[in-house]
Amino acid sequence: MSKTLKTLTSAALLLPGLVVHTSQAADPSRANINFQHTRYQEGKRDLLGIRSDLNPIMVDTLHGTGGFLLTDRLRFSFGYTQDTWSGATPIAMTPFASTAGNKEFTRTLPTGEVVSGASPYITGIVDLDRNLDPLRQDPVAGRVVDPRTVLVLSTASPETRKQGDFRMGYEWDNAVVNFGGGLSHENDYKSSYGNINGRFDFNQKLTSLKWGGAYTTSATSAILDHDTLSYVTPLAYNGQIDFQDRLRILRGNRQDWAANVGLTQVLGKSSLIDANIGYTHSSGFMENPYKATTVIFIDPDTISPNPADSIRGNVRAVLEQRPDYRNQLAISNRFVQHISPLDAALHLNYKFSFDDWGINAHTFESDWIQPLFEGWTLTPRIRYYSQSAADFYQPYLFSNQAFLRTITNNAGETQAITYDPRKLPQDFASDHRLASFGSLSGGISLNKRFARGFELEAGFEYYTRASAFAFGGGNSSFADFDYYVANAALKIGLETLNVNQIGRNRSAPGAAHDHAAQHDHAFIPAGIMFGHTLDKAGDIMVGYRFMYARQTGDILRGSHAVSDLEIVNQACGDLVLCRFAPDYMNMRMHMLDIMYAPTRWLNLMLMPQFMDMEMNLRPLEGRPPLAPGGHDHPGTPHATGGVADTIMMPLIKLLDQPNHRLHIGLGFSAPTGSVDQEVRRMAKIDGGIIHFDMQLGSGTWDFMPNLTYTGSHSQWYWGGQLYGVKRLENKNESGYRLGDLFQASTWGGYRLTNWLAASVRGVYTTRGAIHGNFNTFNARIGPMDFPHNQGGQFWDLGIGINARVPSGRLVGNHFAFEWLQPLRDDFNGYQLERQGALSATWHYSF
Amino acid sequence: MRRSTFILFLFISFLLAGCVNVAPWERGILAKPHMALDPQPLQSGIRQHNYGSRESAASTNSAGGGGGCGCF
Repeated sequence: MSKTLKTLTSAALLLPGLVVHTSQAADPSRANINFQHTRYQEGKRDLLGIRSDLNPIMVDTLHGTGGFLLTDRLRFSFGYTQDTWSGATPIAMTPFASTAGNKEFTRTLPTGEVVSGASPYITGIVDLDRNLDPLRQDPVAGRVVDPRTVLVLSTASPETRKQGDFRMGYEWDNAVVNFGGGLSHENDYKSSYGNINGRFDFNQKLTSLKWGGAYTTSATSAILDHDTLSYVTPLAYNGQIDFQDRLRILRGNRQDWAANVGLTQVLGKSSLIDANIGYTHSSGFMENPYKATTVIFIDPDTISPNPADSIRGNVRAVLEQRPDYRNQLAISNRFVQHISPLDAALHLNYKFSFDDWGINAHTFESDWIQPLFEGWTLTPRIRYYSQSAADFYQPYLFSNQAFLRTITNNAGETQAITYDPRKLPQDFASDHRLASFGSLSGGISLNKRFARGFELEAGFEYYTRASAFAFGGGNSSFADFDYYVANAALKIGLETLNVNQIGRNRSAPGAAHDHAAQHDHAFIPAGIMFGHTLDKAGDIMVGYRFMYARQTGDILRGSHAVSDLEIVNQACGDLVLCRFAPDYMNMRMHMLDIMYAPTRWLNLMLMPQFMDMEMNLRPLEGRPPLAPGGHDHPGTPHATGGVADTIMMPLIKLLDQPNHRLHIGLGFSAPTGSVDQEVRRMAKIDGGIIHFDMQLGSGTWDFMPNLTYTGSHSQWYWGGQLYGVKRLENKNESGYRLGDLFQASTWGGYRLTNWLAASVRGVYTTRGAIHGNFNTFNARIGPMDFPHNQGGQFWDLGIGINARVPSGRLVGNHFAFEWLQPLRDDFNGYQLERQGALSATWHYSF
Repeated sequence: MRRSTFILFLFISFLLAGCVNVAPWERGILAKPHMALDPQPLQSGIRQHNYGSRESAASTNSAGGGGGCGCF
């Protein structure tokens, strides 16, 4: 090779895009911000003819990531994920012929509608023949063998998990090293992890060697009083169960060590192959604390000597027991081939995984990525998966002993003796994820890349699990189910935007200061919505807004704290006595701001929102005793979360002078947030619809007019906003409507430097009480469940800072924070004191 | 047996490495976004998360972590 050629080659290799990157570094050269929403929805389980109105599992996931190049070679990225799930999930499996299972019932709603449901029963009896096959009493045929197994479904209230992670990566000419870590937090499971991985390129960057290692530590603290779990026998875990406020909490810890090594090889101008081996060693508590195994106890003393007689089995549920360690090895191969006539890419993937629990799994996956026209890309994909069962998996098992027997000791006293757990297998589990099954899934995703460096992505996948799909067939068809996943994402490439911005400024003489000038009036307190406008036709702004509000402390009537006894006697109206009051409530909101200026004087905004809330109740002193048939909510916070309402807001400029600006917003809020969030059914009693404040939206179309003035002089800036919400419907699907709202704000601020400013804001808000009431069952146990205890007048003081990046790689990014401190509350009725609210915003306009 | 399989796998990989030579200016196709090993990382991330909570297979990527209990 000549010297010139060598030099050219070296130079060419440094160009971005000429090196095949590994999956861990999918797009490391770009700084980017991504937002994604995903909905996971399971189909109803087959309960063998039993009609259940329990909603299947649904998960709403919000995911955001950001990546920035700190230097040419140093990249920092972070991610945040939040998912809220709820619905019915199998807790155990039981013979269909037993008296356990899902028992039908009917109930009448306040509207008069009669609905049917099913309650989970995990204990009961079953008659067996001498082969231990379950016997069912058939009205026509008499007693018949019925080998069918059925899932026992239990339902869960919404729960939210949050995960934050980061990664720092450094890139040399021929190598990359990344290290990262994160935390995942949910009420009953906390996990923290760290990892390091890297890539080494050699052979003219035609070959890359990859390696990685990770450590995860997780702690379970599961409350064993979820509905049917009260009836589960946790004998093997007695040493791991704490009692707190009448709750049984099962604790356990686990550790996971993982390592992987892989090789990516270019096979030619249009194909490459990637091979990886991964090893994971896990130890500790690996049980699913909400899954029980049905054990049918047969007391040998009760078996009749007559072989024609049946055997009576005592059906009990015992917490599953998995081994305390697991070693897994997985090998995967991916082949990527460019299909030149269509400019498409075919991705073929095969993975084989095996472990010392006896599970062998095969995965085949194929993606066809087809770029179309004008930045559109269509990707159909198909996947097949098959696994064998774990050695210790059994739908249910038998034990040749009495569950409970009484003996008379030497002193003549009667004693109850429970079963001997040593006579059960050392490990057993009925979780259908450990069964033998196969699955087939297929999906499609659609991407549209826009010229300014941002991209929209939408995907859909349908997945069906079937015992019969397993290699060689499976025997767990009772657990077959399906799900679909739909997702939408917005991806913003910041570096591309910067390049565009510079290009546009250069191409427009005299426009070089636009970026700075545009943001001279952009210092607006973080708590103000609809305060920005864009300068020129064609401008786009993308932003993210986070808000956190907390209520705790005293219950106030108007502005004054009241005693528990007054709350008991007066806060729930004339006919009902209150039993509980909120102890605290946290609300978090994530909002995406997408803004576009079709003309200079008109801006269009689209603002999807996601919310999550939690509330804890405390029992009131002097409360009346529990009514017969009622139930309490002791000690565990209620949570809800998911998609909230979506705001569509046109902003019209009325005045646009250098130091004075005025614009009006005439927008609407669409009722995309649900207003039928429920508390789970517990102890065979409906929880009912959850409190007004915990619903995710208003449930009505709302008109949201607003008027904003901003001014500036020298280093000072100021402004004011009038903002209202008028509900456009009489009631939502749950039978009520929220009160209307009016808010007035005024602020003043000072630019401390060219990138930092501080502001003070005064806010007055008035909100009406709720009209109407829930049209379905609500427990009505405290002031938060009554429409008259809603709304009021509020006075707040906001202290804020604004920062913008004036130059460098991150130029054009704006950040703002504001703390809103309540000065005075004047509530309608009885409500929980407010403690303040934090707003944080990021936005980028281009 | 497992160790020998692994060595064979590495050997074949290095053998393959020796048999191709694609000059940097001939890598235009390889550099296309849809030829990346994981062209849609957001989508694949969410899919792996769902499979991981419904199936028992192990992963060959240890860069992850977290993901929660998946106890439903």
